[in-house]
Amino acid sequence: MEEIRGNSHAADLRRVVKANEDIKKVIRISSGVNLVALNAMLIAKRSGERSRGFAVVSSELRVFSHKLDGAMSGLGTLIFELVSDAAAMQKQRQEHGHLLAIVAQGKRMRELVAPALARVDERISGTVQEIGRDWQKLSLQLNRVLQLCETGGSLARSAKIEAVYGGDMSNILKQVASRIEETVNEIFSTLKLLRTQLAE
Amino acid sequence: MKKLKFIYENGPHKWAVVARDPEKPGYLIDTNEYLVLNGSEALLADPGGMEIFSAVFSAISAEIDPYTIRYLFASHQDPDIISSLALWLNFNPDLKCYLSWLWGSFIPHFGGTAETFIAIPDEGMSISLGGLMLEAVPAHYLHSSGNFNLYDRKAKILFSGDVGAALLPPEENGLFVENFDRHIRHARDFHRRWMGSNAAKLNWCERVSRLDIDMLCPQHGAIYRGEDVKRFIDWFAALEVGSGIRE
Repeated sequence: MEEIRGNSHAADLRRVVKANEDIKKVIRISSGVNLVALNAMLIAKRSGERSRGFAVVSSELRVFSHKLDGAMSGLGTLIFELVSDAAAMQKQRQEHGHLLAIVAQGKRMRELVAPALARVDERISGTVQEIGRDWQKLSLQLNRVLQLCETGGSLARSAKIEAVYGGDMSNILKQVASRIEETVNEIFSTLKLLRTQLAE
Repeated sequence: MKKLKFIYENGPHKWAVVARDPEKPGYLIDTNEYLVLNGSEALLADPGGMEIFSAVFSAISAEIDPYTIRYLFASHQDPDIISSLALWLNFNPDLKCYLSWLWGSFIPHFGGTAETFIAIPDEGMSISLGGLMLEAVPAHYLHSSGNFNLYDRKAKILFSGDVGAALLPPEENGLFVENFDRHIRHARDFHRRWMGSNAAKLNWCERVSRLDIDMLCPQHGAIYRGEDVKRFIDWFAALEVGSGIRE
């Protein structure tokens, strides 16, 4: 219980807000993947038979981008719940602080507010457990997205290789493949950093 | 669940509302919280009660970084307006809160220190938000004796606090007033009871009718747009207030 007293709650909300900002950033970046993947498919179609391999990979990238959309939406929902629970904890902590101030006035006061303090402690305990579950679910979802990004990275590298066989469209195909790779890498590194921060 | 919706966007200059919550418990009055953004600075007008802090905070955080909020603006002293103050200050102790000088020693019962508050004189004042000038417009006795609206001349938006408020049934949950005559029935009793001074009301109507307003945004109920703004001011001017005691 000690860890949920004092200023640690405010720090918790700040930590949650920081994670929320990172996740929002990643969601913004990932929304571009779908467009780039669609562009890749259209270019592959235009270049016809010469970029058959690229067409196959770009089609897989479209599937990947849809999965990424779903995974990001899940991440958004989970972080929203976490922000909401961490903010609710602020109020409980405030009530707790008021009661502790009374407790500090001596034995009689401590006895007087003991039932109230127990009720607040119970509520805090429930919220702490809820926040713990939120973090756990978020962490699992982060791992899923990271795995997905690894797949996306592999697909982007395959697209780069296939682009070489694209004849006069080769340069455009390479540019598209590089764009996908950059986006996936950016998502990957941001989320990896976030996972490390969450583990601290 | 409360959600943030943008109602005005012009580059970095935006207005958003954390609109009424259809899922909130029935014993709490429903509220709108307004966020004015200008680049990297934001002001939150009437941040709401402590019971809804979590809902307001998470709705805002889903769209913007809550650290961009530098200022709170309390139209008056009621608990549904500003009792969440201590919770906002826990999150960011550097927040400043604009409010009528009249409540300078009352609101600290909700939280804050002498450094938190910026007193607004009775005649109102200009408020700079990243270079954008907002105006605290006096609305005393409507209903509070130290009461301010917030006007954004550039966006042509007036945050009118309790003026224009309507206690809408749950099924009428639109963001904007769509049918003035139907809507205003839900505003009548509120204004008759909560607004105590006909003289203050006429003074407000006279001053506000001279402002260029596209949206009149109350703290309760739906937002008035376009012609409905003038319709509301005319309706309010004609309404006998201070007369709503139930018999």
